[in-house]
Amino acid sequence: MFSLRLLPWEYGVRNLMRRPTRTVLTLAALTIVTLLVFVVVGFIRGLEQSLSVSGDPAVVIVYSIGADESVENSAIAARTAGLLTASLEGIQKRYGVVHASPELYLGTRVSVGGSDESLGLVRGVTDATPLVRRRVRLIEGRWPGRGEVMVGKLVAAKLGLKAGELAIGSSVTFDRHTWRISGQFSAGGSALESEIWGGLNDLQQALNRQDLSLVALLMSDAAQAPEVDLFCKQRTDLELQSLTETAYYRKLQTHYAPVRALAWLVVALVAGAGVFAGLNMMYGAVAGRTREIAMLQAVGYRRRAVLASLIQEAVLLACAASLLAGAIALVFFNGIAIRFTMGAFALRLDSVAVLVGCATGVLLGVVGALPPAWKALSAEVAESLKAI
Amino acid sequence: MTLNRISACFVLLAACALLGCGQSPTASTQGSGGSSASYIAETEPANPKGVRELIKASKNDEEVTMVGRIGGSASPFVEGLAAFSIVDPAIPYCKGEEGCPTPWDYCCELEKMKENKALVKVVDGKGTPVAKGAKDLLGVKELTMVVVRGKAKRDAEGNLTVLAEKVFIKK
Repeated sequence: MFSLRLLPWEYGVRNLMRRPTRTVLTLAALTIVTLLVFVVVGFIRGLEQSLSVSGDPAVVIVYSIGADESVENSAIAARTAGLLTASLEGIQKRYGVVHASPELYLGTRVSVGGSDESLGLVRGVTDATPLVRRRVRLIEGRWPGRGEVMVGKLVAAKLGLKAGELAIGSSVTFDRHTWRISGQFSAGGSALESEIWGGLNDLQQALNRQDLSLVALLMSDAAQAPEVDLFCKQRTDLELQSLTETAYYRKLQTHYAPVRALAWLVVALVAGAGVFAGLNMMYGAVAGRTREIAMLQAVGYRRRAVLASLIQEAVLLACAASLLAGAIALVFFNGIAIRFTMGAFALRLDSVAVLVGCATGVLLGVVGALPPAWKALSAEVAESLKAI
Repeated sequence: MTLNRISACFVLLAACALLGCGQSPTASTQGSGGSSASYIAETEPANPKGVRELIKASKNDEEVTMVGRIGGSASPFVEGLAAFSIVDPAIPYCKGEEGCPTPWDYCCELEKMKENKALVKVVDGKGTPVAKGAKDLLGVKELTMVVVRGKAKRDAEGNLTVLAEKVFIKK
């Protein structure tokens, strides 16, 4: 006796088909709103992912104490790498090779084939670098020789170029020197993928520098990181500081917190606009069906049953819009490279982005349908039956 | 009744399992750990000298009493070890009204750090560094003024490390 007699499922579906133009227009509006949510959440996830995967917990970077968090501004003595490897026991060693990578790192103006200069990131590396930067994979070409560089797979995006412009054999110019591209590498989606790598000695000669920017150390165990910190604090004369790579990128992430907050605000605003679009649509749909809704009540359907049917219609439309928007986003937007100050990252439609996008879409349907449906149901049945 | 007993047994077993999963609070790889109080001096050691003076005059293995303020970099504490940098009290740090988020890094006095900064390692009776962060062990924080008494360790480059068994925290 307490069971609720619902309207048949087909009733709501057929109602959508009765007004095809209105349905298609509403579907388009909801799809655009949900697509915007997908893209903005994909942007946030891509940025977060890029910074979070960039750190290796077992890697400690040692750089100048005066450089704050900007390794580009760091300058340390060339002998630092030797001092560190001779003084610290916790550095990974295999077959007699110590996993320590002395590096030069700079942000500089880069041009390709006479194009306008853009700010690029250049790292001077040695044969030991891949032992420490374990995510780096040469995906095309070979390790750079003298006068050569290799480029990360997001460098083209970072420099605002087409991917083909950085093909193997072409040239890049920075600091008054032209370098031939010998290879391309990936680095598991990390910030390294936005960098240009050349030989450390080659770069030092070209830039007239004898110093280093940093030394990256792969520790045999992440728990050994304090040993490096202790060394840096003990050797005040060297003016060094150390940070685990994960801590370094975590600090960088805090700089981008306002960008992320702004992006989430955009998601909220877009979703809010979508709710109003849904409300508008449903008010229109319900207003023209006052007599129909009253008739359903007159033949014995309870208000809750009619309300459920109206929500069903809206949710059906919102789900279809979410699927459509999700498909468009995955095909056309997923993986698109985006430039930002410290490199480039790929727009990433991962599980979180899909969940937030679809949930927002469905929410639009439910929230958009409730107020107009409630308004229609609160009217007197007898009066509604006489409505024109 | 029997059901209640079985339930009680399950609850007891679950509680034991949970307690068993917890980490031992005294686990450490270095030093004896010991209670925090055993590393805190009740009375201020007499005639402490500033960091600068000791960097200039102290000898290796000499017993010294040093006063200074915890700081000298953005993170003066060594994680997981009772060790921290201290700076000569005569060196001024950024005042709160200057809006510096990390006044203890002495960013306006960086060039003076080399001759005004030393490392303090809190050690146990055997001279082994205590494997617990100084913040937790001593309840100190950045810019806390401390007086330490211990053995000075000098290297060829003139750096000073003091191995202290007790730390007096100035209020």
